Amino acid sequence: MADSEFDYEGTLEACARGDKGAFQRLYQREAGQMLGLAITLLGRRDQAEDCLHDALVKVWHNADRFDRSLGQGRAWIYSILRYRALNQLRSRGRLVDTDDGFIEQMADDSAQAEDIASDQSEGRELRRCLRQLERPRRHPILLAFYRGLTHEQIASRLTTPLGTIKGRIRAGLRALQECLQA
Amino acid sequence: MIPEAIEPRRALIGEYVLGLLEEPEASEVRELIAQDRDAARMALEWEQHLLELADELPPQTPSLVLWERVQQSLGWTPASQATAADAFAGWWNNLGLWRLTSGALALLVLLSWLPGVMRDAPSSASFTAVLQVPGESAKPGWVVTVDGDGTLNLQSLVADQIPANQSVQFWTLIDPKDGPRSLGLIEPGKGTTLSAEQIGAVQAGQLFELTLEPEGGSPLNRPTGPVLYIGRAVLIASN
Repeated sequence: MADSEFDYEGTLEACARGDKGAFQRLYQREAGQMLGLAITLLGRRDQAEDCLHDALVKVWHNADRFDRSLGQGRAWIYSILRYRALNQLRSRGRLVDTDDGFIEQMADDSAQAEDIASDQSEGRELRRCLRQLERPRRHPILLAFYRGLTHEQIASRLTTPLGTIKGRIRAGLRALQECLQA
Repeated sequence: MIPEAIEPRRALIGEYVLGLLEEPEASEVRELIAQDRDAARMALEWEQHLLELADELPPQTPSLVLWERVQQSLGWTPASQATAADAFAGWWNNLGLWRLTSGALALLVLLSWLPGVMRDAPSSASFTAVLQVPGESAKPGWVVTVDGDGTLNLQSLVADQIPANQSVQFWTLIDPKDGPRSLGLIEPGKGTTLSAEQIGAVQAGQLFELTLEPEGGSPLNRPTGPVLYIGRAVLIASN
């Protein structure tokens, strides 16, 4: 979970200056959550740990390329992790059997007035906006995020024509950005 | 073709961040993000929003060797140490396992009075190790006893639920130079007995641990999953 007290940007800048202690603090703060996501994407702990290892090494080596005027440090770190995980998934070329129960649950999770209020008060903008999408637009976005599936894989998982899936994702993302910018 | 208008462009970058674009479109967007600060900002904005989804997932404790591996890859530890055995040795030395702990010792003393935990009149040295949740001295889970004949007995104090597609594996480490040695898979909540031949000579300070591994055990000759319980052998009697 993001810790609002933790200074991700300052920590990355310290890493760029070669501060090993800062990197270790970042590891202690974030490695568990990063591993949780990598395991969900890759389906296997050993591969997820390899992915996390590679991502962390990259974070250290590229820390000097982080620029706080472009965005938040934690987002930058996860962009590296997810990029690695997606490459690993693509090069593996086959899917793991996964239990998508929690994704189904989130896909079913339509907007209720009280949820929207609590999401808003807790700053969960994306959850709030996702809930406002219709299920057929929400579900493929969740499959892409949590399982790293391609358009084709999503189409076959949901037994829906490829063109329809592409259109729904695009429309879903546009609706999301409208809601997020509002 | 990357749209010029802001909103379609932002949506396309969202697709890229989700990993949905294929070549050559993916490369085009990647290049745009590398060159155009506004595009880079949009990509990080998407990533920032998507963090909410990542944070819905429970964190997972990395295996203890991961931090050692990362340090080795960064060249922070001498190259001569770049082996799994030494990674293991790193946390052997670093984790303050010797702090294991006043609680464990108190329990040990208590156990030593229980019948069955200690064998009668050992013919040679006997040992006990209380295996605890790492970093939580008040959570003993298993007890290892090695009697005077060298027979090892592992007893459970807890009934943990293990996911159906995973296994619990029992390990020991005598000398960090040799690396950890598997002592086989363990049924959660059930103990096991190993003969002196299987276990070899036990020494004071020898490390025992249980790790969570893929079904059927670690694919490597070292633990790959998180440590569930860990403890060191303590000499309780010698003749």
